[in-house]
Amino acid sequence: MLHVLPHQLPWWVAGPGIGLCVVAMYGLANVKLGVSGGWLQLLLAVQGRPVTEPWRIWFNSGLVVGAVLAGVLGSTALHGYGALGGALPAYLLVPVLLAVGVAIGYGARWAGGCTSGHGISGCSVGSPESLAATGTFFGVAVLVTLVLHVVTGGAL
Amino acid sequence: MSRARGATALVVGLLFGFLLTASGLGDYRTIHEGLLLQDPYIYLMMGATVLTAAAGVLLLRRRGTTAFGGPLTLPRHPVRRSTLYGAAVFGVGFGVGATCPGITVAMVATGGLYGALVLAGILAGLWLRGRAEAPRWALTSSRRAGGRSRRA
Repeated sequence: MLHVLPHQLPWWVAGPGIGLCVVAMYGLANVKLGVSGGWLQLLLAVQGRPVTEPWRIWFNSGLVVGAVLAGVLGSTALHGYGALGGALPAYLLVPVLLAVGVAIGYGARWAGGCTSGHGISGCSVGSPESLAATGTFFGVAVLVTLVLHVVTGGAL
Repeated sequence: MSRARGATALVVGLLFGFLLTASGLGDYRTIHEGLLLQDPYIYLMMGATVLTAAAGVLLLRRRGTTAFGGPLTLPRHPVRRSTLYGAAVFGVGFGVGATCPGITVAMVATGGLYGALVLAGILAGLWLRGRAEAPRWALTSSRRAGGRSRRA
């Protein structure tokens, strides 16, 4: 941690910057930026099945390098798993986080995209499927979060 | 062409990962407080992303062609049941974990090593959905063909 970056880039820097990433992928390579598709291609590669979109593996590799770079230059050092890590003992946190991942992966493949593919790339071109998916997963996530907040008496 | 596409993906992916991480989205609190409707950061950021991308796409549409991907084709799909069911399941994970497929990397890169567990779960979930989508005839025919276990 070199503390070169602020704790959090302003939204009006990070947002447009990521928007330009979407435009670059459409305008240069004619493809839709998305992260879960890259994990899917990696899964296919690990299984020894044909990798139909190799660029996605390159994209996610870049994502890892960029994230590590920001981590090294940044000032954030996370421990545990936020309030959820505080509320659950480790023996419960581990299966809960695995289940969270399974829901995210299963749902992303079922819906044909995630927060990036549908939420950013698909919404920015006005694809009805992406608008519906984004409205649905944000709606459900807000609902789940508010219910957990009430049920746990504000712990989450 | 595929080499240029791979190189583009690597460079743009790097910038994307850098910005995701530098915006503090890997911190559980950032997304959690957004979903609790207490902090507008994630909505402002995502709104700015979509508006910027939409403006850029408008210019690309006028041009109609891409640098090395041929004529511009933009996704436009109707809403299917699977979209809504999948997005609802995704939303449960998104809500409980306050993370998503790209953010797990930002988590791990800033020391939130539990993010690796979520990422492992994501790979398992992708695999499981593949099993669920596999046509039944493929299961039976591969069994008949000698019992080598099918991979989804």
